[in-house]
Amino acid sequence: MNTALTEIFWTQQSSLPLLLLVQLLPLCGAALVFALRQRSTAVLAGKCLALAELLLLVYVVGRIDPTLPALQLAERFAPLAWHVAVDGISLVFLLLAALLTLLMTLYGMSRSRISPGLLFSVLLLAEGGLVGMLLTLNLAWFAAFSALELWAVVFLLRHWAASRVETQALARFVQYQAFGWALFAAGCVVLGWGHAEAHAGRWSFDLFDLQQTLPVGKFQTAAFYLLFYGLAVRTPLFPLHGWLPNMAQHGLIAVAPALMVGVKVGIYGMLRFVLPLTPTAVAYWQPYVVGFAMAGIFFTAALAFQQSDLRRLLAFAVVSHTSLLVIGVFSLHESGIQGAVLLAANFGLAVTGMWFIVGFVFRRTGTTELHELSGLFERIPFLAIAFLGCGLAIVGMPGTPGFDAAHLVLEAAIDNFGALPTVAAALGNVAAAGFLLWAFQRAFLSQRQAGAVEVEHTQPMEYVVCGIALLALLVIGFFAEPWLHLTEAASQAIATRFVR
Amino acid sequence: MKLPLLSLLIFLPLATAALLWLLPARLTRHLVAAGMLLNLLLATWILFVFVPTGEPFQFVERAVWIAGLNVQYFVAVDGLSVLFLPATTLLFLGSLVASWNSIEENRRLHYSLLLMLQSATLGIFCALDTLLFFVFWEATLLPIYFLLGRWGATVDAGRVAARYFLIMLAGGIPLLLAFILLAASQPAPTFDLSLLLAADLPRSTQYAVFLLLLLGFGLKVPFVPLHTWLPQFALAAPGSLTALLVGLKIGAFGLVRFTIPLAPLAAQDLHWLLAGLGTLALLYGAVGMLAQSNLRVGLAYASICHVGLAVLGLSAFTAQAAQGAISLLLSFAVATGGAFILLEFLRQRIGSTDINSLGGAAKTMPLLASGFLICGLAGVGMPGTSSFPGEFMLIIATLHSHTGAGLAALFALSIAAGGFLSLYRKAFFGQVTRPEVAQAEDLRPREWLVLVALIAMVAGIGIYPGPWIEIVRPAAEAWAAGLGR
Repeated sequence: MNTALTEIFWTQQSSLPLLLLVQLLPLCGAALVFALRQRSTAVLAGKCLALAELLLLVYVVGRIDPTLPALQLAERFAPLAWHVAVDGISLVFLLLAALLTLLMTLYGMSRSRISPGLLFSVLLLAEGGLVGMLLTLNLAWFAAFSALELWAVVFLLRHWAASRVETQALARFVQYQAFGWALFAAGCVVLGWGHAEAHAGRWSFDLFDLQQTLPVGKFQTAAFYLLFYGLAVRTPLFPLHGWLPNMAQHGLIAVAPALMVGVKVGIYGMLRFVLPLTPTAVAYWQPYVVGFAMAGIFFTAALAFQQSDLRRLLAFAVVSHTSLLVIGVFSLHESGIQGAVLLAANFGLAVTGMWFIVGFVFRRTGTTELHELSGLFERIPFLAIAFLGCGLAIVGMPGTPGFDAAHLVLEAAIDNFGALPTVAAALGNVAAAGFLLWAFQRAFLSQRQAGAVEVEHTQPMEYVVCGIALLALLVIGFFAEPWLHLTEAASQAIATRFVR
Repeated sequence: MKLPLLSLLIFLPLATAALLWLLPARLTRHLVAAGMLLNLLLATWILFVFVPTGEPFQFVERAVWIAGLNVQYFVAVDGLSVLFLPATTLLFLGSLVASWNSIEENRRLHYSLLLMLQSATLGIFCALDTLLFFVFWEATLLPIYFLLGRWGATVDAGRVAARYFLIMLAGGIPLLLAFILLAASQPAPTFDLSLLLAADLPRSTQYAVFLLLLLGFGLKVPFVPLHTWLPQFALAAPGSLTALLVGLKIGAFGLVRFTIPLAPLAAQDLHWLLAGLGTLALLYGAVGMLAQSNLRVGLAYASICHVGLAVLGLSAFTAQAAQGAISLLLSFAVATGGAFILLEFLRQRIGSTDINSLGGAAKTMPLLASGFLICGLAGVGMPGTSSFPGEFMLIIATLHSHTGAGLAALFALSIAAGGFLSLYRKAFFGQVTRPEVAQAEDLRPREWLVLVALIAMVAGIGIYPGPWIEIVRPAAEAWAAGLGR
């Protein structure tokens, strides 16, 4: 079977280099907002730019033909090793990144130590980093954009950190991410070196070049481990998730975790680079990865039950459901991969929505400790319902995209791993429902404690943010067909490499 | 052009719910009542247009829903399900009346959730695509969770609601697995029930499907020992909600609709399992009822007992058994549902349905007491009530197929009758000792109307069961023929 990657150049599909626009819009926007940061127009400009990026991406979706397995709208510029292209999978992630950035600009929260203009310009810069990672087909560029995005998050966290625990959480974050980044970069070097050996010293990090000369034997294993673990830290994957709970609890609420785990670039990186470039190693190590993921689902779900802080609880929820994504990816099966992509988008949107709501609660109560929260449902019913709605999307209730996607993953898991692991994975969802409901129960439904703060009612902006998230989930949930159509050929293209 | 009657029926409640938020809040209850009445009329109309001897599936509507997964929006009714539509709409109307004055705050939300639940329940009875069915099945959880958690009758209602939600979510896993397994067993994966019923599955697949579906539906039925959520639920939930959950036996309906016909060989090999679970539930429910002091919990145990009889009867796999089971389930919708609604009236007056805080209630509330007696007697299968024909057919079928279990069933039913009468005597007869009981007011006109409707149905169907049973008969015969007997 022909498994070579193919691409279609932008000149055949469009009159403009669209992907360059997609890449430059947030970066130039960041510069513009930074220039305007002292003026009141900066905030408005930031919101408009985020919206423009989303609309541009919607236009891009209209330009490509999702039935083709090829990467499309490709652009190359050899002197910079610039090579970008999209397919159905990357577009799902791109749309999500743009939507989440838009929601973040609407949410726009900062402590007084950072001005809104500066915040928005850093947000757009982070979006530029995310978009770059999702567009590029060059490992080195991927690593570079990853560094750019991490820098943006660290910048925000550094401006947030006021107390000792917050600084410690930041330090932990930097240590983990730097380590993960270094692993990934080392993996890139191994692959690039392999290419240089085979091609008379000509180094390349381009996916298309590397794919022609896959490393063999130990080199492939080494490359797999370095890339996989590098991405696993970023994803985060059990047991490399240690940075997330602390960052979630002590870092900038909502925005920082949304930037880090809202768009699952780790999962995307595995699909785009790890699976095609180290197929033998992937197939060999598949059972171990899946085993760890299984353990991760339950171990972190158990930890989530122990949490007394809503933000930490959500962090563990992320790690738990990310394990399910890895099971989908490493089923190496078309529907498993497709399911994982849709599930990643679903989780990203849902969990970010929940983080926003936690942020709204924090604005009112000044705490996210579960035992200090009570009876919020009476005062902010819409936010409560949105919280539960997002939670149910994570659990994969029918009517949310989580259902169709989880269904695909389970189907692939039955095919590959048999019934028992599948049941275990499905029970992971019930565990997730358990701690999410438990948290909902305590914070929103319980009787209001005597002496609890009287919280204010829902604000219009909060209606907008949660309404968009909830509406997107419901609409995609009930009309999943276009999204399945968008991702099908691309998932097939990845899975054909692993025909059993 | 033909009207899509079933879709109208299923989505009318949702449309009503949406309308609630557009109109002034003071109109909420009346709007809900109008919507539910309209739906009842629609369901009755469907029942009249339905031809029992005609095509097996009528009012068919098909549309592609998710082409990539080959999931269809496929709804239709047959003789097994058509009677559940008016029963459901009627019970929801009763539930509305029962909660008419007790919902003070967030009325719109409460009734929107109730209407969502109605849509989902009607969908369960109409869906013939297994995945669509599953979607409706899971869609009942959210409204129930909220209705119980937010408007529960006890302090720990939230905890009970979460527990119910989780148990049912876990119960969804075997169902989904079975449906995926069934779909994958076909040359082209499909969730279309009419295709799946026609397919010949290997025996091993049938075993897996049967056991998975039995587990999934068994939680909802509930079978002993999967029943622990039900008494808790009955205690924590307002009667208006319990009436819907206990009255509409969607678990047992799932057994009739999916579990047995989809895996006929396995069902017949494992007939002892089905019969055994039925007998166990029968005996356990009857004995458990004796130990209760709360009328609502007592009724919950009675319902475990009776649904056990339906399952036991089904394990005979004859047309008569299926006919009996469906009529019994329908009768419960009216009788048990009605009894829970009356208990909700009682709870709103006294603040409790525990026999220790009642006593002599028949003196001050004769209408309520007599209504409850009639519903309760129907619940224990008294001749002349709506349950009797179904119960009779089931007992006959069981005595033929599983004689010992049939005898045990007779024994258990008499215990249950005794248990009910004993509870009834303590609650409604004797001296009035409590001031709440002494001051209680009998049924108001609105409540009285519900009572009359209930009694008319219980007695009417009981005395002249012919037409109702005839609606079910052809479908039940087809059902038994499909099992190869």
